Amino acid sequence: MRRGEVHALLGENGAGKSTLMNVLYGLHQPDEGEIRLRDEPVAIGSPREAIGLRIGMVHQHFMLIGVMTVAENVVLASEPRKGALLDRGAAERRVSELSERFGLAVDPRARVEDIGVGQQQRVEILRVLHRGADVLILDEPTAVLTAQEAQELFAVLRNLTAEGVSVIFITHKLREVLEIADRVTVLRRGRKVDTVSTQGATEASLAKLMVGREVLFRVEKEAEEAGRPLLEVEGLEALDDRGLPALRGLSLQVRAGEIVGLAGVDGNGQSELVECVTGLRVPAAGTIRVGGREIGGAGVRGALAAGIGHIAEDRHRRGLVLPFNLAENLALRGYRRGPLSRFGLLSPRRMRKRAFPLLQDYDVRGGDCDTPAASLSGGNQQKVVIARELAEDPLVTVAAQPTRGLDVGAIEFVHRQLLEQREAGRAVLLVSLELEEIRSLSDRVLVIYEGRVVAEVGPDASDEELGVAMTGGRAPAEA
Amino acid sequence: MTAVSAPPRAARPGLGGTRARLAAMPRATRLGWAGVALGLVAFYIALPPIMLRTVIPSALLGVGALALGAAAIRGGAGRVGWGAVVAAVVGIAGAVAAVGSGEANLERVVVWSALAAAMLRYATPLLFAALGGVVSERAGVVNIGLEGMMLTGAFFGAWGADLTGTWLGGLAIGLGAGGVMGLLHAVFAVTLRADQIISGTAINFLALGLTGYLFIRLFGDEGTPNDLPEIPDIALPIGWIPFLGPALEQLNLMIWLGLILTAAISIYLFRTPQGLRLRSVGENPLAADTAGISPLRVRYGAVIASGALAAMGGVFLSIGFVHSFSQNMTIGKGFIGLAAVIFGRWKPGGALAAALLFGSSSALAQRLPVFSPSAATLFQALPYVLTLIAVAGLVGRSRPPKADGIPYER
Amino acid sequence: MSATGGGDGGQAPGTVASRLSGYLRGGGVLVPVITALLSFLVGGVVVLAAGSNPISTYRAVFEGSGLNWVFPWLSAEDRTLAALNLQQTLLLTAPFILAGLAVAFAFRAGLFNIGGQGQYLVGTIAAVWIGSSLGDLPALLHVVLAMLAACAAGALWGGIAGLLKATTGANEVISTIMLNWIAIWLGVWLFSVGGPLHSSDPAQESVPVSDDVEPGARLPVFWGDPELQGLHVGLFVAIGVLLVFWILLNRSVTGYEVRAVGFNPDAAEYGGINAGRTYVKVMLICGLFAGLAGALDVLGWQFRIATTDVQISQVGFYGIAVALLGRNTAVGTAVAALLFGGLINGTSVRNLDPTIFDPQLAVNLTLIIQGLIVLFVSAPVLITLLSPGRLVRRARGRPAPEGTA
Repeated sequence: MRRGEVHALLGENGAGKSTLMNVLYGLHQPDEGEIRLRDEPVAIGSPREAIGLRIGMVHQHFMLIGVMTVAENVVLASEPRKGALLDRGAAERRVSELSERFGLAVDPRARVEDIGVGQQQRVEILRVLHRGADVLILDEPTAVLTAQEAQELFAVLRNLTAEGVSVIFITHKLREVLEIADRVTVLRRGRKVDTVSTQGATEASLAKLMVGREVLFRVEKEAEEAGRPLLEVEGLEALDDRGLPALRGLSLQVRAGEIVGLAGVDGNGQSELVECVTGLRVPAAGTIRVGGREIGGAGVRGALAAGIGHIAEDRHRRGLVLPFNLAENLALRGYRRGPLSRFGLLSPRRMRKRAFPLLQDYDVRGGDCDTPAASLSGGNQQKVVIARELAEDPLVTVAAQPTRGLDVGAIEFVHRQLLEQREAGRAVLLVSLELEEIRSLSDRVLVIYEGRVVAEVGPDASDEELGVAMTGGRAPAEA
Repeated sequence: MTAVSAPPRAARPGLGGTRARLAAMPRATRLGWAGVALGLVAFYIALPPIMLRTVIPSALLGVGALALGAAAIRGGAGRVGWGAVVAAVVGIAGAVAAVGSGEANLERVVVWSALAAAMLRYATPLLFAALGGVVSERAGVVNIGLEGMMLTGAFFGAWGADLTGTWLGGLAIGLGAGGVMGLLHAVFAVTLRADQIISGTAINFLALGLTGYLFIRLFGDEGTPNDLPEIPDIALPIGWIPFLGPALEQLNLMIWLGLILTAAISIYLFRTPQGLRLRSVGENPLAADTAGISPLRVRYGAVIASGALAAMGGVFLSIGFVHSFSQNMTIGKGFIGLAAVIFGRWKPGGALAAALLFGSSSALAQRLPVFSPSAATLFQALPYVLTLIAVAGLVGRSRPPKADGIPYER
Repeated sequence: MSATGGGDGGQAPGTVASRLSGYLRGGGVLVPVITALLSFLVGGVVVLAAGSNPISTYRAVFEGSGLNWVFPWLSAEDRTLAALNLQQTLLLTAPFILAGLAVAFAFRAGLFNIGGQGQYLVGTIAAVWIGSSLGDLPALLHVVLAMLAACAAGALWGGIAGLLKATTGANEVISTIMLNWIAIWLGVWLFSVGGPLHSSDPAQESVPVSDDVEPGARLPVFWGDPELQGLHVGLFVAIGVLLVFWILLNRSVTGYEVRAVGFNPDAAEYGGINAGRTYVKVMLICGLFAGLAGALDVLGWQFRIATTDVQISQVGFYGIAVALLGRNTAVGTAVAALLFGGLINGTSVRNLDPTIFDPQLAVNLTLIIQGLIVLFVSAPVLITLLSPGRLVRRARGRPAPEGTA
């Protein structure tokens, strides 16, 4: 990295960008390798040491104290004093001073939880500048900003570099890289692919570096005639956990006998869409129909009854109760009714009787009915989840990151299950961050961006085409 | 310099003074508070020194309070409005009760200055415990063990006083013992990342057993000696000031110490850099860590301090108030202190107000047997009922520091 | 304050139950044994520091508990004494079982029920009220009615906390602690002179005590002399409830939901389980257990309540230690209840020879040991560090199995 430049760090989710920066900031210790700062090798053991080396970091999830004011947050741990007391006036003046100098307008007296996200980010940057940082790391800073706010941020960055501050800018958005960065380093799966200047680079060339071409087992599938729509989503609007709009009028359809892949960068509304369709979130507007039946707001049981199967994206959090054994986990959907339970009493024997053939059919290894789910490997855990969902014979299976963290064999197995659903005339909505997976399984590929479906392409679309659409490069198209 | 958009409109001034908040209040809320005041006045005029012997004025005032309350509710200030309704009911009912009681009884019970002094005396142990609770929880560590730490202070204060022959020695030793208990809690809660509620409960059991054990062992059947050194009262020559004079002229040193500490801790938490850091650890220890603060060190300090503070309340109890020690003498005062923390919204000033409220409830309970012994007993339950209401969020948001109770690991 | 930790993506959320589940599973029976032994060890150090001999003290406590009754080599004379002691121990064990279940069931759902004491007290109040009124009822009906009343009262008391948690999110630790004290003062008020449930016996006019329970409402004694406070059938009730607890938790739909919510509220939600409703159900049941414990004591051997009884009672609190030591399981609770029953009986003034160890001190020793047990349980990492399985694995150089909580 050079002084006074904006250096972008580009890569897909899980490529290792955040980890690398956490090492630089002392939040994580490296196993191997060396860091050289201003020509001196350094070891950074804690954030305090990083701060001492004049490195500052603005995290993706802000490190701010909501109930405190902007000024208090900025000066925390290096506060101006008046005797033994905190000099609030001086703190506020300092904030105003820095705001002026770098063009980061905020009200020093406002409480952080009352101000908008864009301004909160400015507070974070001010915090770092107050410590005298001259290396500034920004982790996905535009993830939470509107287009206008992002432009304002870029202006600030230009001011900073004009003053000699060096900026590392972690992102997955190609357009921004070209707009603001001088050079860009591309990471993939923990390794550097290349470092190029942004002069003369295009979104296409960057996308190719970022997404790359990996040889994965390409699944053979027969052409199927798609039937009637089993899942119809129209004009879906929903808020995320923070109360911000996550889905802004999303519409899609999945027909019988087809797999629809939903591609997109994490954080564009996929999770909220999955939650709405599976009954875990109540949409603010729009309709969701399964097999013709409206289920928006019907809750999990309603969705289940209508025929939704859900392979959750986080099998430890949503998919499984880890201390439960496999039989109990397999009963998580159907424990309430017979034959598993009668008159309110649950029969472990019957749970086991139902579980055993499932474990066989889905080739779950590493345990039997009585083994706690926590003891299984990730792949086998996922098999249990899939077994449970598919055993209910759902009309529509929503598979969210179904092969996350799995080895090749398990991935192949999961793919085969989804294809079998397709062959059986069921519908599958595949939400995944792995483009290869989407391409090899889907009949149609939809691209989600900022809560809407912005493009529909065939599975044979090029990496560049997909990458560009995923980062907002194309005009919205009909789904 | 590239132009950026104009600075955002200034948000409402943060946690400013009461005057600022009053000025910023919408009309409906103001009506509601006026209703509350009116209801309380309705009660007040039936009591000495005014002691009207007819219910009519109180009834009128009470009805006025009801009207104001209704208006407040209609205007959208639901909580304050209902508070006014409650105050109106209490006011009218209280006035009826007062008018129905004998004048002599009223005069005996409602000696305002004596009541005030008693209120302060009963409130002080609660206040110390509450201050300990505030400090600990503001740093993010739940301290259910306040009761045990208070009891520890009570015993070691008495023992220390006996050992050294001075009350100062007792205070010092009691304080130290409380700090040790705090250290124990800190080790388990912070370093071992134990469940803080369970470890706090354990401390209560331990303290009960340990103090009882040592008490019998060291003092045997006779108990603490009769000539145990006492913490002195402070005599102020202000008897001539109406009402405040008699109330404040002969109060124990610890009571004044408690009031001073309340102010001091309040200043520390909200006006000093160290206090800012402590609060940041309680809200978001990860953020504090990334700013270079050590959450572990801050939490240790806070919990040890909270042990010492709670113990001071116990020391006052044993060698300042009752002048002896008996097993389990704190009987739940530590929990009332915890209640005061919640009721006072985790602020020292609020804790003081809550402690005074609970203290006055105890002070009244002491005097009410004149009227009705049963009412006196029920009054003892009042602090707990009030806290229950507070915890249920019925008196405004009752939000603890964000990271309260969550062990921190990077 | 929250008793549940935050969860991050990719990890099961840190509820109390799931954090303790590692403790529950790791080491099986060994862990509570180690915990108890450790606590007794430290207790022994305390005894030593007090100038007495720990071995003879513990032996005296053991004999005082009557647990030596099972030894076949006892002489006839020793046997009758041991029998008497064992009856007293079991008298304490029965309510401890129930009080322990009241805490254990809540823990399984991820709740911390410190309110067992208050729920127990309202149970005693209801039992003494029904038991001392309605004198014309046939005996069986009277007893059953009194017990049902106690169950209902306890359930109500627990239900308040559960409802508050489900609707307002009020932390159940604080609300149950407050309800404890409200129950205590309620009891004192009811039974003080002039209170609504004060004795109508002219001889007790100035004594703050309740009416006596009618002879028809008392639980029959099946072992020992009724005049000398023999063992009543309440023990079977407690064992019966133990079975109910086990069936409820492990063989019923509700139990499945409770355990799921306790381990992983997110996955439970995914399965369609409403956490709030589950909390209410759980607290109702826990309150019922504790209230029933109160009934057993009142109808079994106390037969009346004085205000001092209300204030010094500790059954609910012992329930916490019992549940924690017993790892919130049925069998564990039973054994832990027996342990505590024996400990408290063995250290009581009646049983402990003052020359070996001052019984007044011994009562406090029990409290210290109880405190230590709860303290060690609070930091599972401490115990799992010491668990033999882990030590053996370390020695052999093998890592722990993947995915263990």
